[in-house]
Amino acid sequence: MTEVTTLMPATKKAETQANSAARLGLWLTLPAQLLVLFIALFPILMQVYISLTDWSPLDGIPWWRAYELWIGLLNYTDLMADSRFWGALWRTLFVMLVCVPVQFLLGLGLAVLFVDDFRGKRVLYSTLLVPMMVVPAVAGYMFFMLFQSGGPVNDLLSFFTSEPVRIAWLSDPDLALIAVMVADIWQWTPLMFLILLAGMISVPQDQQMAAILLGASWWRRFFTIVLPRMKSIIIIALAIRVIEIFKIFDTLFIMTGGGPGVATETISVYIYKVTQQELIWSYVAAIALAILIVLSVVSVFAIKRMQRGQDG
Amino acid sequence: MQRSIAFEAFRYAVILGIVAISLVPTLWMISMAFKPIAEWSAAGADLTWWPRNPTLDNFRFIFGQSSTELIVALERTAGRPIFASLLTASVGTLIAMTAGTAAAYGLSRFGQGGNLPLALIQLRLFPPMAVMIPVMIMWSFLGLIDNWFGLSLIYGIVTLPFAFWLMKTFFDDMPREIEDAALVEGCTRWRVFLRITLPMMRPALASSALFVFILNWSDYLIALLLTTRDWATIPVYMASLSSSMTGQLYGAKAALGVIAAVPPIIMGIAIQKHLVRGLTFGALKE
Repeated sequence: MTEVTTLMPATKKAETQANSAARLGLWLTLPAQLLVLFIALFPILMQVYISLTDWSPLDGIPWWRAYELWIGLLNYTDLMADSRFWGALWRTLFVMLVCVPVQFLLGLGLAVLFVDDFRGKRVLYSTLLVPMMVVPAVAGYMFFMLFQSGGPVNDLLSFFTSEPVRIAWLSDPDLALIAVMVADIWQWTPLMFLILLAGMISVPQDQQMAAILLGASWWRRFFTIVLPRMKSIIIIALAIRVIEIFKIFDTLFIMTGGGPGVATETISVYIYKVTQQELIWSYVAAIALAILIVLSVVSVFAIKRMQRGQDG
Repeated sequence: MQRSIAFEAFRYAVILGIVAISLVPTLWMISMAFKPIAEWSAAGADLTWWPRNPTLDNFRFIFGQSSTELIVALERTAGRPIFASLLTASVGTLIAMTAGTAAAYGLSRFGQGGNLPLALIQLRLFPPMAVMIPVMIMWSFLGLIDNWFGLSLIYGIVTLPFAFWLMKTFFDDMPREIEDAALVEGCTRWRVFLRITLPMMRPALASSALFVFILNWSDYLIALLLTTRDWATIPVYMASLSSSMTGQLYGAKAALGVIAAVPPIIMGIAIQKHLVRGLTFGALKE
């Protein structure tokens, strides 16, 4: 009997303590939850509504009365036939397909060179990281200057070919895209390098030592031990770059403004132009929603697969 | 492990080559910032790689002092945009860190808010351009366009994923014994969080805050959409800094670029250890 009476209050106390902990946890997560709701739920509902109308801020009616300009799914059918949109999407994917592999291979190569110790490693490592810390808009301006027809890039080319080179990089439709990709590779190869090096260092040494004792060559060890062990890190690094290049705007917009013509117009630049210059906001809402839906499906699918991969 | 001298030579050659190339754009801008107007662009075939007559005129110019060579007067000087960048990035960091740290603690210790990790990664995934229409409509309705708080609030939300994930990994790493001991002593959980956990996490908080600040300071697109004049940040102001009379004001823009680029580089090097953790959402710790 005495045991029960002393136990009772103790369990009760533990219960209330657990309850208060749960409540505190809820309160602590509340601000973040509200901010996410605020930026996710409300804007998306608003986008769904506006995208079904022909509303623009110039119409002189507030957005909640946009139903007066109801056009149903017309914006979406327009989007399917919008060659400028598909062009921008294709261009964004092209930049991705060129830049991500180049950044990956350069980053991986540098990581291999940095994986063991050598004199001056720390200073060189920090110096290599500088580009990714430069404000992207400022990086865009740097490359804008470098690629001027009287700028240093042409100056170097003149030096090597010993005849005056006057290429108008940023006003040539083909070369402008190359210049933009050079800037992206310059700025974001360090990010690949940083992540891949961290991943490479975390590969355990024991298997490698065993392989060395067995006389496996460096290449063999790299491809059969190191790279497979880095698989999930490589996927993360590639995913980060793919996501970021899909959003590419700052550097590119400062360098070329999407031009000449539409030669460097990516998805973000296209949406920006329709928003600011043509002001067809209902159409922008439709584009944005289409992108959000596709990205959500892809991301949920990718994250599910990655989780399954980690379990197995 | 012993490597051959040939390999060491190869390694240094490649690394130094890449370091040199990667420094050129930054050095070019720094050099440009100190060049007088005559050396800004190639007159004829002669391009100045390093300023022959270094000058501080470009810096004076963007702060409103015109020199004999640069007689154009600026309509707006750089002081205000620099202040706008500082204020909005700081307040944005404060919002992200407050909400992010609280939520990270709530999830790490009490298992609440299990939906947040995925929701925040998805938030990071979407191009900001794709949610800006509703934000612009709401902001103009609330009078937050070209307003420091309007910009700060969006910054806080956009960088919340980073603040949350960074702090979550730091809380996950922190041993619970000290907190448990304080609880046994009779402290309330709230007091434990404020008086014991947060002070212990000071270095982690500082690194995360610097990381988030760099991201906010680096923004261009959001400020371009949400500010027009009074609260234009440095990149927005910089893009507007061309005059029809002088064409591109190379040196002046470069000077402004140096001012914009230096703080994040210093901060970034200071928190180098945690960069990987922050950029990979804590999937990798160094």
